[in-house]
Amino acid sequence: MTARIRRLGAVFILLYAVLFVQLNRVQFVDAEDYRTHEGNIRPQLRAFGQERGDIITADGVVVAFSIPVEDSTIEFRRSYPTGERFAHVVGFQSFNQGAFGLEREYNDQLAGERLDQQFESLKDLFVERDTTGTVVMTMRDDVQQAAQEALGERRGSVVAIDPRTGGIVAMWTYPSFDPNPLAGLDGTLVNETYSALLDDPDDPLLAKAYREVFFPGSTFKLVTAAAAIDTADISLTSPVWPQANVYSPLPSGSDLRNFGGSTCGGDLREALRVSCNTTFAEIGAEWVGPDGMVRTAENFGFNAAVPIDLPNAARSNFPVDYGARLADVDHYRPTEGAEGDGPFLPNGDTPIHENSAILAQTSIGQNDVKATPLQMAMVAGAIANGGRMMEPHVVSEVRSSDGDVYDTVEPSLWRVATSPLAADLLQEAMINVAENGTARNLAVPGLVVGGKTGTAQLGTDPPNSHAWIVGFAGRPGEDAELAVAVIVEAQPGASEQTGGAVAAPIARAVIEAYFNG
Amino acid sequence: MTALERRGSLPPSLAALRPRRVELGLIFLIAVVVVAAYGLASLGQSSSVPANIGPFLAWMLGLFFFVHLAVRRFAPAADPVIVPMALLLNGLGYVMIARLGGDVDGGGDLAGLQSVWTAVGIGLFVATLILIPRARMLAQYRYLFGLGGIALLALPLVPGIGIELNGARIWVSIGPVNFQPGEFAKIALAIFFASYLVDAGELIKNRLELRDLVPIGAAWAASVGVMVLERDLGSSMLLFALFVVMMWMASGRTMFLGLGAAMFAAGGVVAFQLFSHVERRIDAWLNPWADPQDSGFQIIQATYSMAEGGLTGTGLGRGEPDRVPFAETDFIFAALGEELGLAGTAAVLMAFLVLIGSGLRIAIRATRPFEILLAVGLTTLVAVQAFIIMGGVVRLIPLTGITLPFVSYGGSALVSNYIVLALLVRLSHEQRVAATKEPTP
Repeated sequence: MTARIRRLGAVFILLYAVLFVQLNRVQFVDAEDYRTHEGNIRPQLRAFGQERGDIITADGVVVAFSIPVEDSTIEFRRSYPTGERFAHVVGFQSFNQGAFGLEREYNDQLAGERLDQQFESLKDLFVERDTTGTVVMTMRDDVQQAAQEALGERRGSVVAIDPRTGGIVAMWTYPSFDPNPLAGLDGTLVNETYSALLDDPDDPLLAKAYREVFFPGSTFKLVTAAAAIDTADISLTSPVWPQANVYSPLPSGSDLRNFGGSTCGGDLREALRVSCNTTFAEIGAEWVGPDGMVRTAENFGFNAAVPIDLPNAARSNFPVDYGARLADVDHYRPTEGAEGDGPFLPNGDTPIHENSAILAQTSIGQNDVKATPLQMAMVAGAIANGGRMMEPHVVSEVRSSDGDVYDTVEPSLWRVATSPLAADLLQEAMINVAENGTARNLAVPGLVVGGKTGTAQLGTDPPNSHAWIVGFAGRPGEDAELAVAVIVEAQPGASEQTGGAVAAPIARAVIEAYFNG
Repeated sequence: MTALERRGSLPPSLAALRPRRVELGLIFLIAVVVVAAYGLASLGQSSSVPANIGPFLAWMLGLFFFVHLAVRRFAPAADPVIVPMALLLNGLGYVMIARLGGDVDGGGDLAGLQSVWTAVGIGLFVATLILIPRARMLAQYRYLFGLGGIALLALPLVPGIGIELNGARIWVSIGPVNFQPGEFAKIALAIFFASYLVDAGELIKNRLELRDLVPIGAAWAASVGVMVLERDLGSSMLLFALFVVMMWMASGRTMFLGLGAAMFAAGGVVAFQLFSHVERRIDAWLNPWADPQDSGFQIIQATYSMAEGGLTGTGLGRGEPDRVPFAETDFIFAALGEELGLAGTAAVLMAFLVLIGSGLRIAIRATRPFEILLAVGLTTLVAVQAFIIMGGVVRLIPLTGITLPFVSYGGSALVSNYIVLALLVRLSHEQRVAATKEPTP
């Protein structure tokens, strides 16, 4: 029988060898395929079910944390105690719908999966291991709350940014949404809630403060003014433009009028104070010209991806194509009553182009100029910061669970938007606007405040418009600490609203919350 | 020889090999591995050293040492690696069961029960060694074992005491005691076949008549009966493999292997067409992703679990093996695969191969046909049962609900496997003592 026993032994060895081969296939050769197999929810479960670090505001309010779940295969879920207030920035972590906002951008740090965090945990193998990171934001809950309350139930956005660092202090859009139901464990309910939010015509899921573009209207005149100072040797006091109530663009195009049909003019300071359309249209089209306007707008961040530490930031737009130049520089226009297509000569020292009429419109923030509220806050911030535009960010640092700092976000220059001279002059002009001009509602006693209003008309029948304000605030004798932008979107059926009346009080509430907080 | 056994001393030629000292060394190593695994599983889960590591250490070391003392006393010449391999598998299984129970600290309900069953199994291991000083005693009761085996096999079908769990009717509930009689039936039938074939085998070897096919026909009928009436594909395959291997071993007729395979395949095809549970198992084996939420769910989850483990595993306590249904019993191999990786599953395979090798070596060295056949039968039981469930979990063969010997949670399975182990140890001792008594040329 010995031969048969040996043969049986050989059969068993063969069977186990085949088993071993198959094990190699499952656990090694094809393992990666299985791990990423559609329907294998282990990776998501691992991400969703584990404890993550907190997300806290600069003033120490916890806006996202993990709570243990009883009686479930999932051990933790996320909770957002401030509800909708930080939903657009913090986002949410949902099993069915994935992660959004900071929950997604800082997933590895929150989960403690970065190499440095893992390495930390190696050092103390036999004590409680918590590698999760705490994400500390630059945003302040008190300022965010002020923005939320001041805007109320009007569609719109508020952005407040520290111009010295680029740190975002507040960023609020109404309507928002409550992220808590989306982080729930009942998959059906999560999906229903998510679809309902998607179907809502007001788009509450969309963080319009940095992901939606609007006509900036007159707030864009700050860019035009910077271009005037930097490229056309215009100062606050000279030249002086004549009073006018209409600007007829060269070579031809629809006339531009002032707000409410008023008549205005004067020097740059005065034009800014009253937000004079006719003057700025002429400055853009005839004094700065296409090259200077496009270059300056792009220096201010238009037509570029914003380097913010949040996903899907929208790109602000300034049109670049104004056609071929039509005539050489000269300082004459065709005389009154002259005929035909004769040379079109500008008032300023820049040649007229085929589409200079469009340039006249874009110079006052119309036509195809589109900007996010964040972009306009950054414009005000660059002016307040000597022309230097910092990279915007909402996270200041990542800490370990016992307080060590893993990562610090160092302030970083994005681009030089304008010259220090232009920044100085525009600061002075904006302070004048807040003290004596359209932004008087922005002024806060005891602070140095500058501003610029905007009223972007969308239609006249019925009349409706976006109400804008951008501005900055600082303590006397010090650099400005805060730049703000507020847009109250056009309300369907509501009467015309101006930035000075509607948006400025909201920005003021934010400034007061920041400096009194 | 009897006096020698009772004294527990060894013939001089074996004493030089000191098998018990080798065994003690192996058991000590395995105790270290199991206790370390227990500690790591707890660290992986709760980041703390288990509070009950002291009592656990004492309990496991106590049981291990007790087994060793029993072998030293009652079968001192036995092969020194058989018992340590079983303890390794038992220990790793226990750690995994405790870890699956949710927290290693508390041990979990199943882990507590499993430690009790381990003690009972080791108790019966020792009792078997004491009650059966000579293996050939068993041959005297061949028809008792034969009828007892069939009766145990059929017990779950008796109305009132048989219960159906998870689709298979393999449980018996008498008063407070629940057990799977099939786990004990296989031992009784292995003994019966060994003794029956000692005589019949010689006959079959020389001539083949229709009536010689009666035993294999009966075996086939019993296997298919188990498959159909109790819906227990795994036990059916195991029993049939046992019968066929032993028939072949006794008769030397290779045709029994082919005939057996053909008959089993034919039975399988008929069962496939007549009984939905067979068809479901085959479908789930061929393409589990056709029905990922239902019939394919278990095997798909097991595949994901083992793939997650990769080469070195997620680490004990750091995977999610409890996502696979029946992780403590049928799928404990997948759980080990997830947390210990290919390294861990390969180690389990090696432990079984060492055990199988020892069992077959006993058979080769044994001199009497009954002992040879019994050793082959018992080894085949362990080898085939382990292969059926591991092959099912890795989707090499259709999945059947059967336990992984020594590793899976389960009282009946653990106890019956320790009895198998005791019989192998007894055979090993006899064979090695006998070998030393042969006159040296």
